[in-house]
Amino acid sequence: MSEIPADLRYTAEHEWVKEQGDGVVRVGITAYAAEALGDVVFVSLPAVGARVSAGEACGEVESTKSVSDLYAPADGEIVAVNETLDSTPESVNTDPYGEGWMYDLRLSDGAAPAAMLDAEGYSAILD
Amino acid sequence: MTTEDLNTDDTGASGRPGLRTSPLHERHVALGAKLADFGGWSMPIEYAGGGVVAEHTAVRERVGVFDVSHLGKARVAGPGAADFVNRCFTNDLRRVGPGRAQYTMCLDKSGGVVDDLIQYLVGDDEVFLIPNAANTARVVELLRAAAPEGITVTDEHDRYGVIAVQGTRSDEVLKSLGLPVGHDYMSFVQAEWEGEPVIVCRTGYTGERGYELLPRWASAPRLWDALLTAVQDEGGLPCGLGARDTLRTEMGYPLHGNDLGPDITPVMAGAAWAVGWDKDTFWGKGAVAAQRAAKESRLMRGLVATGRGIPRAHCAVLSGSEVVGEVTSGTFSPTRKQGIALALLDRSVAVGDEVVIDVRGREIPAEVVKPPFVEVSVRED
Repeated sequence: MSEIPADLRYTAEHEWVKEQGDGVVRVGITAYAAEALGDVVFVSLPAVGARVSAGEACGEVESTKSVSDLYAPADGEIVAVNETLDSTPESVNTDPYGEGWMYDLRLSDGAAPAAMLDAEGYSAILD
Repeated sequence: MTTEDLNTDDTGASGRPGLRTSPLHERHVALGAKLADFGGWSMPIEYAGGGVVAEHTAVRERVGVFDVSHLGKARVAGPGAADFVNRCFTNDLRRVGPGRAQYTMCLDKSGGVVDDLIQYLVGDDEVFLIPNAANTARVVELLRAAAPEGITVTDEHDRYGVIAVQGTRSDEVLKSLGLPVGHDYMSFVQAEWEGEPVIVCRTGYTGERGYELLPRWASAPRLWDALLTAVQDEGGLPCGLGARDTLRTEMGYPLHGNDLGPDITPVMAGAAWAVGWDKDTFWGKGAVAAQRAAKESRLMRGLVATGRGIPRAHCAVLSGSEVVGEVTSGTFSPTRKQGIALALLDRSVAVGDEVVIDVRGREIPAEVVKPPFVEVSVRED
């Protein structure tokens, strides 16, 4: 069973969300997703400043064999992206909850990540 | 991403219902392989602790061992069997002698490719065939329907396993088992290992020096165990069909179903070299000869993405605003660390031209090249 840190929240789309304070959340993909995709060789992220809506496809993660969309977990504005993934996309496999983070999202006023799961809830959908 | 994106089939030892399994299936499960459907067979894509990039690199730099037992095996035997096969498939078996293998194609009447396969000339009265897994039954059926009295066509799909050892250290691996090495590219030797027969072919689908071994089905697991140990001793890895695909794409080798098929003839695929144009007859000759003379069809070219992105099959290729072709296979090249593709392009597009690949709405610039995308060492003595 892949690692599912207890201090993160999760979406059914295999993304993790971490509170950064000041209404900003960090978003990445789970170890389960990274493992299932295989070697990640290319990550396409939204532009800093882009506004996204919950559920909107806002990026892509490609492995040697397939491509998958990234979905925004909530309404908001992209305030930072992990540019090191340009040169080291393999961080998504080796450290999905750390060096392999994708982007920071400033939540719109009153927006809260919808339908978020805790570690236990996410673990349950993998069974 | 959705769970459907991640539909890797982690079936247990039993495999998924309806899929056939290799004689090495339990070995793959024990090695933590991710399994997927290849032509109706549950086969490893990659192994735990490896992954496509590491497995690919092992083959390019050292050695890897692959299970390709899903490949078909069929035997055509009887008086004049070689002449009969030569009247059916494209390549000219008279170009090679007994003990030699040859790449060939089975065409339909309109020149479409039913299958591409390797034919092994055992002698005038016997030819052994390795078709693609999904096409074996069809090839056997077509041959049987055409075979004259006295010539038998036998489907031997589950009579042999197929294990490929590929990479510069392949000779060391085979030598450590006492198996023959160093025979010419595209030749084969009947050998014995621990009292069991094994055919050792100097063939492969990676562009590296290597061999494909055909043990009997029941002795495949023991041979695999011995080869895997030897490969690991040489710093190599067990490799799945994911790495096999990136390796063959870097070589520009076509894959049936992507780069060859009912609508992609040998003339279009750049495989005219595998057609015996001087032969009196072969299936589909009229259609492909006419297409070759007309010089109008699209042609297979290589594309190297000069921008960031990975082309995939069916992406449109544009020159200016005009669609000039379509990607048939695309992937990330672990060797070059960029996107590469095979694409069918209009004849107006030349090698060296700059084009644009429409990758899901993003425009990726690319250069038209002649494959292979990497250096070739497959034929070296």
